[in-house]
Amino acid sequence: MAILRALLEQLSTLAATPAVVGILVAAPLLVVSRDWRLNLLSLAAKYTFVALLMTQVMPLEMVALKGLIGWLICLIFYLTEQQSKSLTRAAGETEGLSLQTWSAARIEGWRRQGVSSQGLFGLMAALMVAVVAYAAASSLPLPETPAEISLVSYLLAGLGILLLGLSQDPLRVGIGMLMFLAGFDLFYVALEHSLVVTGFLGALSFVIALVTAYLKTVQAASIDTGRGG
Amino acid sequence: MIAGLLLFLILPLAVAGAVYAVRQWAALSSLLAISTCVALGIIIVVVPLGRTIDLWGRQIVMGGTLSLLGRELVLRDVDRVAIAFLYFTAAAAFALAWWASPRSLLLPVGLASLSLLSGALLIRPLIYAVLLLQLAIAVSLFGLQHEDRPPTRGGLQYLSFSLLALPGLLTIHWLMERYALTPENTALLHNSAILLVLSFALLLGSVPFHLWIPSLTGDSNLLASGFVLTVNHGVVWFLMLSFLETYPEFGAHADFASLASTAGLSMVVVGGFFAAAQRRPERLVGYGALIDSGVALVALGMYSDRGLVLALLGLIVRPFGLVLMGAGLQDLRPPGGPGDALESLRGRAWRSPWGALAFLVGGLSLAGMPTTAGFAARWALYRALAPSHLGSALLVMAASVGLMIGIWRAFSALLSRPLGPDGEDEETKGPAPARRTLLTGLVAAAVLSSICIGLWPQIITPISLQLASMVTFLP
Repeated sequence: MAILRALLEQLSTLAATPAVVGILVAAPLLVVSRDWRLNLLSLAAKYTFVALLMTQVMPLEMVALKGLIGWLICLIFYLTEQQSKSLTRAAGETEGLSLQTWSAARIEGWRRQGVSSQGLFGLMAALMVAVVAYAAASSLPLPETPAEISLVSYLLAGLGILLLGLSQDPLRVGIGMLMFLAGFDLFYVALEHSLVVTGFLGALSFVIALVTAYLKTVQAASIDTGRGG
Repeated sequence: MIAGLLLFLILPLAVAGAVYAVRQWAALSSLLAISTCVALGIIIVVVPLGRTIDLWGRQIVMGGTLSLLGRELVLRDVDRVAIAFLYFTAAAAFALAWWASPRSLLLPVGLASLSLLSGALLIRPLIYAVLLLQLAIAVSLFGLQHEDRPPTRGGLQYLSFSLLALPGLLTIHWLMERYALTPENTALLHNSAILLVLSFALLLGSVPFHLWIPSLTGDSNLLASGFVLTVNHGVVWFLMLSFLETYPEFGAHADFASLASTAGLSMVVVGGFFAAAQRRPERLVGYGALIDSGVALVALGMYSDRGLVLALLGLIVRPFGLVLMGAGLQDLRPPGGPGDALESLRGRAWRSPWGALAFLVGGLSLAGMPTTAGFAARWALYRALAPSHLGSALLVMAASVGLMIGIWRAFSALLSRPLGPDGEDEETKGPAPARRTLLTGLVAAAVLSSICIGLWPQIITPISLQLASMVTFLP
């Protein structure tokens, strides 16, 4: 615990601008990208930067707890994607799982086709949400919170709602819900320092991750049943 | 000595685990779930507050205040009635699930939800109640997922809309604490009122946030949808009343009555219009639920003791409409097929007459037709509204007519002869004759109960009168 605390204290020096910039990059990527590996990396990065920002308003131990919950959620999503990929492969869909194959396919895809229209639309929508979040943080700053936390809270909540509106895939909807919840959590920890509230919000995030992972597996299984047999 | 309140938090959760473990034996898991709910329902009704009872050599004291994780759990009289309503409704839903959907996860998930929802009714301050409610909503998605269908989009929408309500409800507590310290700052009260209205509009599915309700019934397990729209929605209603009691400023707000009436009427009009045009019976159940919620809000908008009694009466009789209709349709749906269009239900009444009867009686009750449970609340509302708000009464009646058109269309399809020989041999394997008789008896009992309450509403009206007398936010 002492090592963790020392590590967090070291990292909390990144709590201001670097963390905000990290979230400004990672969160919109979750809206734009359809690649689950990239999305999981962005999600893990987002939880790390949100935890860093939280060090400004809550004790380090509780921040560590929230960070751990976030990374556990990423692990759940990773295992779910692996499971659903193996199910869809069994149903006849082929996709290389090695990192080398994946990165080569990504680069080749971008070189040949550029960014997809879906990705461009997501990027434009994410930019618009970012502008609205900036305007909201300037004109309606959240009470009891520093300016950068206000901005990030609005941004995460806005992008979460955007993802909810744009997605039908259970995992992406789940990421949208979790992003919205993370945005609110970032603001609410400044108002309510209760450990029980932290526990409940963590449990809620965890259950949302589990339920969307379950629905993703059901989706993959239904493809498996439909095509494979 | 054991605090009786813990029974309602721990026992359903423990039994949920056991029910999940034995779920391949439908009879055992159903009987376990039903008996637990009935036992807890009877305990909460029969054992007076403060009385100590002996159970298996242990003394259990009911009521009082219990501290859990530093938070207070308080059992008030109003919570006793609310918890009894939850458990008896759940018992009925589980009994019908045994008949219509024995392999679904409704039983274990429903029990786990009951534990969380009981906690939501008992815990104070209200922010913890809101968090427990959200947890229950998230957990209920496991039960909403249909065994043989793609992921439930309606369920995801339900969770999404509910989650959007969370920030407002949690922030209200902080804003009102600030307002108590600085009463001259009326902006705090104003902002809290806006958040309260928006949050409960999202949770109750008020127009324009109603889209999740027909989606939920459209692609989820129908009995689980009925459970959610009665049990979960019931807790949302009790939570709303708790907010109004805790912060009387909201109830005393000049716009409260008109806001509740307008929200209710918009739900009634939209629900009635789309129900009349609906060609998918599953979504029809959703629009029926929308109308019923709207009617309850119209009653609340009367801003009187009578209106409150009628709103609560509507809430109490709602399971006779929604759960019965959902169970009937679940039974009628062809196994493995899409089952969401009228064509797929053509002639199904000849294969499953009890399913058709449950669908019909449930639908009639939801539309407030005579000789069904829903009639008692609806007729009293027409009489209360007509002298002062004739337009509102006519709109509620029109919505009932709209719902009846939808039900009639669905029932005509159910009664018509099948188009071809397809499916002649399907469903040859069913429950054994002895079990079939028992299960049919359960459905018959549910249908008969609805008719009895329709004919003798005095059986159930004292409960809503008693409940309304315990709610004190009205002037």
